Amino acid sequence: MALLPYVARTAALCLALSVAGCSIYSMPGKEPVPVEKAPDYTSVPPATTGQPASRPVQPSASAAYQPLLDKARVASDRGDYEQALALLERAQRIDPDSADIYLAMAGTHQAKGDVAQASATAERGLLYCSGSAQCSALRAYTR
Amino acid sequence: MIRTRHILLKLFLTGLVLSGLILIYLDARITSTFIDKMWEIPAKVYARPLELFSGAALTADDLAYEFSVLGYRKVSTPRSPGQVARNRDRFEVYTRGFDFPGERETSRRVLIELSGDRVKRLSAGGRQIDLMRLDPVQIGGIYPTHGEDRVLVRLDDVPETLLQGLLAVEDRRFYRHWGFSIVGIARAAFSNLRSGQVVAGGSTITQQLVKNYYLTPERTIVRKLTEVLMAVLLELHYDKDQILESYVNEIYLGQEGPRAIHGFALAARHYFDTPLQQLGLHQQALLVGMIKGPSLYNPLRNPQRAVARRNVVLDVMAEQGVISTEHATVAKAMPLGLNNKHQIRGSFPAFLDLVRRQLRQEYREEDLTTLGLSIFTSFDPLLQRQVERSTTAVMEQLDAGGELQSATVVTRFDTGEVAALVGGRKVRYAGFNRALDARRPAGSLLKPAVYLAALEQPRLYSLATPLSDTPLQIKGAGGQLWEPRNFDRQSHGDVLLYHALAKSYNLASARLGMDLGLDTVVDMLQRLGIERDVPRVPALSLGAGEYSPMDMAAMYQTIAAGGFRMPLRSIRDIVDAHGNPLKRYPLEYDRTVSLQAVHLLHYALRAVVREGTGRGVYRYLPDNFEVAGKTGTTNNGRDSWFAGFSGDLLAVSWIGRDDNGGTGLTGGSGALKVWAHFMARSSERSLGYRMPDGIQPQWIDDTSGYLTGKGCPNSRMLPFIVGSEPRNTTNCSPRKSGIKDWFQSLFGGDN
Repeated sequence: MALLPYVARTAALCLALSVAGCSIYSMPGKEPVPVEKAPDYTSVPPATTGQPASRPVQPSASAAYQPLLDKARVASDRGDYEQALALLERAQRIDPDSADIYLAMAGTHQAKGDVAQASATAERGLLYCSGSAQCSALRAYTR
Repeated sequence: MIRTRHILLKLFLTGLVLSGLILIYLDARITSTFIDKMWEIPAKVYARPLELFSGAALTADDLAYEFSVLGYRKVSTPRSPGQVARNRDRFEVYTRGFDFPGERETSRRVLIELSGDRVKRLSAGGRQIDLMRLDPVQIGGIYPTHGEDRVLVRLDDVPETLLQGLLAVEDRRFYRHWGFSIVGIARAAFSNLRSGQVVAGGSTITQQLVKNYYLTPERTIVRKLTEVLMAVLLELHYDKDQILESYVNEIYLGQEGPRAIHGFALAARHYFDTPLQQLGLHQQALLVGMIKGPSLYNPLRNPQRAVARRNVVLDVMAEQGVISTEHATVAKAMPLGLNNKHQIRGSFPAFLDLVRRQLRQEYREEDLTTLGLSIFTSFDPLLQRQVERSTTAVMEQLDAGGELQSATVVTRFDTGEVAALVGGRKVRYAGFNRALDARRPAGSLLKPAVYLAALEQPRLYSLATPLSDTPLQIKGAGGQLWEPRNFDRQSHGDVLLYHALAKSYNLASARLGMDLGLDTVVDMLQRLGIERDVPRVPALSLGAGEYSPMDMAAMYQTIAAGGFRMPLRSIRDIVDAHGNPLKRYPLEYDRTVSLQAVHLLHYALRAVVREGTGRGVYRYLPDNFEVAGKTGTTNNGRDSWFAGFSGDLLAVSWIGRDDNGGTGLTGGSGALKVWAHFMARSSERSLGYRMPDGIQPQWIDDTSGYLTGKGCPNSRMLPFIVGSEPRNTTNCSPRKSGIKDWFQSLFGGDN
């Protein structure tokens, strides 16, 4: 319940910014734009998190692939990284634009000990992330 | 007298020793190879399985086609696996189920409802299904030169009536004899004598097996004796059930082109498209009957003879008490119940060729044809159908005479998987595979590598850098002069970098290539994935060298993926005969080019189709559908190229003549049409705009490349790598403007 005022304030800020953000192109970190892009992680205002992507995401694509992500996690936890990656690749074929899947892939490569692949995968995933949490999680693998 | 007897004894002993040696030899042959022989199975190559989930893009027509190539039978109510009922956008299907590597898809009755070219609902028994896949289409096999193909089956899985019917017709005393049957031979000899020719073999099941495994088909006494000897030896080493099991897997039951159908299980699939276990009595009887003469009684070619033969077998089965007379009567009244399946195997020669090449790098031919591997590929029958249709439609329109050739490679660039391939205008013809083997100059298709190399040096180049499109002469190593020209024979003075690429100006590009240095250009081509040797000549910037459409696909794949190189894959998994995963070809990213530079290149490649040489794509695509691409034309129009991508697919198309003559086409008037015709019908996603870090858009003056203000004359917004913005500024200050170009509309702003 303590969260409620914060949510309301964020929503108001969102609204204000989206009204202000009517210029054709907005500078990263200043105004939210309905563009699929990687935000500026260093100075992302809270209002830009969770901004809608311009392409309507298939409503149930995540329902379709979520079980695969869960299975992949189980496989990865028991050390079967190949199986985990195979499941994640299947998930990615279902939704190639999901940063969550990139994140899971990068994590699996990391767990497997393939740091280079973890980094490259996360770097590509950064092209698809939205929201500072998701983006900075991916970013962590690229360092 | 004594002497003669001595010689006779010697001869007798020698004969004994010789026969002993022959016996040992035959015995060794049997024991060393019998078990191996049972396991010789060609590799099977599968297409990608169709993934179904609510929201998946899929037209009813495509789903119906998938079921048809899978050989699902159209019925009014599906009652057994492999049947489908369609009512417009509603498909009721009893799936076959499939053992995928690591996961099993169960056979079940599913309701698929489509709406607006998407899967709307997916359910089984009223319960929603989140995700499922159909069984994959088998698109071919890797057959040995003798062409034998089979599906192995355990004796326990063979229907009892089929086995009993087989024994009733071919070898009634099978469980009692020692490999040969005096009674059988006597009976055969009797009927042969009566008719004056060889009409009956009198061979036991064991003898037939020996004959098929080890012996040549001629009918001589020596061969017959060897056959009997080996049959007895086989019976000594193996029990009856093992021999019978080998027989049901070995028996030859017909031919499909070069492919020989061996064993009941494969024959059941081939003739009836039904698993052996589910064959009806009438179908079992037909298979048993066909043993006597697989081509004579081939139900596809001689249906009347096949029916007659089948009914004879049913009578024998009833007479021998295998089935009741009532059952026989019912079965005799049945139609042949043949498979009405599309002939899908061997229909995609170009893609199979690609798979085979990849396999041969890692496997011995012998392993591929005998180990029973299952090869799961990324082949997409739906995309293949469309790219074939587009090729045929456009080529008919461009060249009804049929002199021009065409090839296209389609990949899903997010994963680097090759999804479809056309190797020539006759799409089903297994001939010269131009997609892989054509060696052609690439024309302007190589230019993006030059521009990308420039954009990787943001201190020197940006999209707004003016390039000089003026005549130049370069002395080659041999002293000859190279003097490139523009397609329109004009020079255009100073042009902005993005514009020079969009318009494919040769003079500006050649100058840019020379300024960067050949090594830089070669290095970029290699980083983009060109593995072939490229000529280190000035004309490289304009496409000199020899490339296949597949080479170009590798290069554009890296560009489309945003600077990440990944090997083009056609194979996902290989599984051994026991279902164990043998090898996986994983997705691997390798960032070989600057993300920011590729981002800028994307802008220029979008400009190609919006305002440059590739504008023709929008005669096929809706105006709000974003794509990026590049045209390519070589001297005298010998090659017409187009390479480009949308949000999900990358395709490279080529048109040319095998004799290397002129086509009268440019990239824009030829290959572009195949590409756009295909993309308009197959691509599901518009190219998204994703800006990496370190990119900043700026208003510039489109004529001078100076920074300017929004709404100023000739103002245009271009993306820049931070720090690479133009230093000069016009003296115009920003003002309100309602005009928006294609780039600005990507951002969805409202002024």
